[in-house]
Parts: sequence; C-alpha cells; structure tokens
Amino acid sequence: MNKLLMIIVIGLLMSSCATTSMVKYYNENHKQLDIIQQSYKEIYARKPFTIEFTDKSYQHIFLELLTDSIKYIYEFDVKETRLNDTLIKFNLPPASVMNLINRMQSIECKWLSNLDYYTEGKKNTLVFLSVKTKDFRWFFTPQKYYIMTYYIQPQYYDSQGRLLDGRSRRRLRELNGDVFKRVNARVAYTISQRFR
Amino acid sequence: MKFISKSFLLVHLLFLFSEVLYAGDTTRTSTRADALQYIRNIKNLSRSNFWPNINPDEFLKNLKEDINIPLALYQGSNTNFCGYAALSYMPLNNDPLGHAKNLIHLFETGEVQYGQVFLQPSLAVRLAAGNLKFKGGLDIRPAEQMWFLSLADHFKSYLNFFNKKYDAGDENTFWAAVSYGKFNRMIKKLFNYDVHARGADLRHPRVGDMYSYLSEQLKKDGTTIVFQNNAYLRKKNTSKLKPGFPTHFIVLLEIKKYENDLIDVIYWDYGFRSLRQVTPAILKKIVFGVSFVSKKRSTHE
Repeated sequence: MNKLLMIIVIGLLMSSCATTSMVKYYNENHKQLDIIQQSYKEIYARKPFTIEFTDKSYQHIFLELLTDSIKYIYEFDVKETRLNDTLIKFNLPPASVMNLINRMQSIECKWLSNLDYYTEGKKNTLVFLSVKTKDFRWFFTPQKYYIMTYYIQPQYYDSQGRLLDGRSRRRLRELNGDVFKRVNARVAYTISQRFR
Repeated sequence: MKFISKSFLLVHLLFLFSEVLYAGDTTRTSTRADALQYIRNIKNLSRSNFWPNINPDEFLKNLKEDINIPLALYQGSNTNFCGYAALSYMPLNNDPLGHAKNLIHLFETGEVQYGQVFLQPSLAVRLAAGNLKFKGGLDIRPAEQMWFLSLADHFKSYLNFFNKKYDAGDENTFWAAVSYGKFNRMIKKLFNYDVHARGADLRHPRVGDMYSYLSEQLKKDGTTIVFQNNAYLRKKNTSKLKPGFPTHFIVLLEIKKYENDLIDVIYWDYGFRSLRQVTPAILKKIVFGVSFVSKKRSTHE
C-alpha cells in the first residue's frame, strides 16, 4: 500500500515537473522561439516548406519543398553549396532560410512545419515546432520533445489550461494524438516522444 | 431444317453465354466524364438514416473532388487507412462511374455489392463516419471516411485478430491495419484486377536489383504499389530501434537513377505526390512488397 502511494506521489511530482520545466523552458527561450516561428511564417508565405534536422549534431536536414503538383524531399548537409542552389531554384531566400536554420541549431529545434487543422469545418493553420528536451532521462527511456504550436487567433482553454477545440468548448483538441496545454493565448505546448 | 435452326439457336446461346462469362471476368472501366455527369444528375441527395453524421452535400462535394482529382484523396494524419487509400487509386482512375454509383448506393442504403464483396458496415462504423476529428484534411472528407471505415470493417486478416470490432479511435489502431495478403485480396475481390504480388509482411521480395525491378514494373500497363517500411523515410522519433516490418502502402509513379547512384522515387502518398531521393541500399531495405495491378481484359480485345 505504501509502495503504491509512493509511486502515485512520484508520478504526480514528475508530471508537475514536466509542466514546470516546459514553462521554464519557454520563459527562457521565448524570444528565440518566437523569432523562429515568425520568420518561418514569413518565408513560408513565399513558398511552403518544412525543415527537419536528422542527426544529433544538427548538421543535416531534410528539406521538404511543396509545390502545386509535388512535394520534394531532399537531404542536405547545412554547409553544402547544393542547399543554397536548391533554395534559389525553389524561389526561397537563401539568407533568411540559413538564418532560420542557424537559429534552429542554436536551440536544437528538431522539426519546423506548418500544419493544417480544422474547426467547425473550416481550415486553419498553425506553426508546429519541436525542440529536444534537456531533462534528465534514464538510460533506454525515449527522447522527448517540447512541441510548441503557434496559432494565428487566441485559443480557448479549459480550467486546467488544456486546449479546446473551437468555440463549442466541449472537447479537447488533439494534434497527432496529443492534448496540448496553454503557454499563452496563442501558444500551446505538449511533451511528446514524437517530434512530428 | 428444324435441326439447323436448333443448332443455330444453341450456337447463338453459347456465344451469348461466353460473352457474359468474358464480361464477368473483365475489369470494369468507365470515364471521369461519365462519373461527373452521373453526380451532376443527382439533384437532391437526402440525409441518410444509415449515416447520420454525414452531410449529403459535403459527401457529394467530396466524391466529386475525388473523381476530378484522384490524387487529392487523403488517408488522414495518424490513421492506418493507407492501404485503403492506395487501393482507391484503381477505381478512381479506371472506373470512377462504378465507384461513384457504389458509394452513393452505400450512402443511401447502408450496404452495397461492390465487385464480389457485399459491404454492410456495422452500426458503430456508420455512426463514426462523418465524425472523425483531428485527422487533418480527412476531417472534412466524409465520403472517404465512409469508404475507409467500411472497408476496414469488412476485410480482416491476422493483424486484426485481437481488435475486430470498431470502437472510437480505432482508425489509428490494429483494427484498421492492412497486411500485404489482405491488401492484394481486397483489390482482386473489389475491383476484379489481376494482381502480381512479390514479397510478404516480414520478408523482402527476392527480385534482384530493386531499382531495375521497379523500373520494369512501371514500364508495363498497370499500377505498381509498394508496401514499405516508412520508419526510415518518415521518422517521427529518434529511436535507434526501428521496426523491421513494413508499415505503409504507396503508389509508385516514377523512378529514376542518377550517375551518382542516387534514386529519385516519385510516389503518391495521399493528398499529393512526393519525390524522395534514396540510395539503392535504403530502397532495398524499405521495400517488403511490390504489387503490380493490371486490368483483366476480354480475350476478344
């Protein structure tokens, strides 16, 4: 019985730690995070694309370039000249994209994309950003990511700070099967084993 | 004289019978224009008692879009509907009229004879269709929700053994999973195609050089569908332990090899076409099944 109680207490403490660490992380890094999402949004408006870092040293990326007819998925070393050529070919501003990549490297941002979601039958978009957590983890336990979602409009949350799906406020919104919590009116987060 | 007329009648009957037999073993085809005309002629599609959560106008809009742009069909994010989406490539491209008629019939009556299969979806599935949420574009595509759920409800394989009955959220679970055998069986039974399948759920196909084999398939008159391990192409976590089995069906559209040995693979991944560059080693590692699907033709042709 005592053991069970201890497990419950540890579990509660750990979940509370996760929330605290996330809020702390956001408070410490929000300037960089906000700049990344803002500059991504601006470049995306010119040409839709996503970026994924594929290695631990944050030197290789998958760049997805979306055109009307096809989605191109290329792998690059960020120092390769081929990357610059491709950006120019696809009408993306090389300096701005490289600046974005550098900022992503600096905070170990693993994945950056624009995501469509639907509320009451209407299409909306958000910026989806994953950052590797720095928290202690046991050997063999999976890597976790802070997932941050940036909305255009302020969102609805319940009394526990969980993101709700639209004005009806009857159900929690899920993205990739995860429930999100409030950072502020336009930013919600979750901690997940999947970065996308 | 009587004998001659009887013989003539018999020969004539035999001829007609053989025509029916041949027709029955020929893959049905129709044009996109026929299908769109058929949909245009539907002036008032009433709300269906069998699918209470599907709005008939949105259903028709979705069906029309799928026929107009077959590549727009979308499996939904994080669902196990990729197998059902992949096989939809055949009717949407080769028999859109037949497909539209069957889906309208399924919508109006809650059941349909589709090829050799009698689809009669369960109540749980009929209540879920139109109500799937948080699946990206699939949220607003009720015709696809109805179609995928009905197929997953009907066709079962060993992967569905422990979860045969639909519960909310099962579109993401083993309830909807498609094994390679089930996938090929569905195409044969629903659309009456010839399916030449190489590979298995846990074994790579023995076809020699994978690039050459896939290139050869694409030269033929038919559709090439690849059953692959997506954990290498679309990573969702950084775990070094990757499943050693296939997880995703794609429709292969083009393949091209460069002098530096890199291979461009162009495929339909539901909602859009994708171009991905891979090495020959990765291509060999990810492919578990290659199904070449071709129309059955009458010997008279």
